[in-house]
Amino acid sequence: MTPSEALVKRLPNDIGGLPADRIDRADHELQPWEKRCHALADVLDFHKIVNAEEKRRGVAALGTELIGKLSYYERWAAAFANILFQKQLLTPGELALKMDEVSARFKRESEV
Amino acid sequence: MHSHDHAPITVPDGTPGYYEVMETAIRELLAEKGLIHPSEIRRQLEVLDSRTPQLGAKVVARAWVDPEFRARLLLNGRSACEELGITFYDDTQLIVLENTRDVHNLIVCTLCSCYPRPVLGLPPDWYKQKPYRARAVKEPRNVLAEFGTAIPEDVEIRVSDSTAMVRYLVLPQRPSGTETWSEEELASLVTRDAMIGVAIIDPQERKVQ
Repeated sequence: MTPSEALVKRLPNDIGGLPADRIDRADHELQPWEKRCHALADVLDFHKIVNAEEKRRGVAALGTELIGKLSYYERWAAAFANILFQKQLLTPGELALKMDEVSARFKRESEV
Repeated sequence: MHSHDHAPITVPDGTPGYYEVMETAIRELLAEKGLIHPSEIRRQLEVLDSRTPQLGAKVVARAWVDPEFRARLLLNGRSACEELGITFYDDTQLIVLENTRDVHNLIVCTLCSCYPRPVLGLPPDWYKQKPYRARAVKEPRNVLAEFGTAIPEDVEIRVSDSTAMVRYLVLPQRPSGTETWSEEELASLVTRDAMIGVAIIDPQERKVQ
């Protein structure tokens, strides 16, 4: 099997059976925003806006480099943005403006 | 795939990082468009907080003391859990895998992080990371050894790979010497890791979860 054939047969998240490091059993308490991200995923699934399989594919579509740089819920947030653009429920411009607004609000709140 | 979970990026002055801003912006835009309602997020946060391995432990203890319940649980995990008032907030089915003298079960999600969330809550980080997902299906005994779990060679280890629609829960073996224990006492023995299958239940060691 050539290297490209191996890649065709195995998508990036399809890692069952591959060699890997020892298991790191350290756990972390979810940050409030991470839990909100999880709740958002569930609500999007309930409404059939983004189901679990679409979310999984959306994370895979971020590509190996970005996946490697992001934490678990950071990947979800980025995947939701892309999926919602593809479904034409949000536009990149809208999200950029809203992020500026949210950012400014967080900044104000932190100064109070 | 690199699967180390980095610390969330928070800018030095303590304001939320880029991805928290993104999550908030997406949620607020969807609410403004009427696609979701903020109260649904709040409600789901409460649901998530209400799910802990104690629910799974209650199911296991009931199965140990009530053979008819155990039979129903093995036939249809979801409806048996619902009998105990555990609601399934998603479309997933639950298959309960019974450990016996001959078979030890282990659950994994090699593709992502599917997990029996309605009965165990959210999965631990290691369950979502590459080493466990990659190795559990290939070298389960080595994986179990890293958890300090030794399964006799003549016991078959069966690994079940979860999907978006089908989730698994391990029904551990009831430890010997617990014949006179109450259902509540039994439930206090059942750990999250035993219901994933990376641990067995030791009656000497009350859980610390």
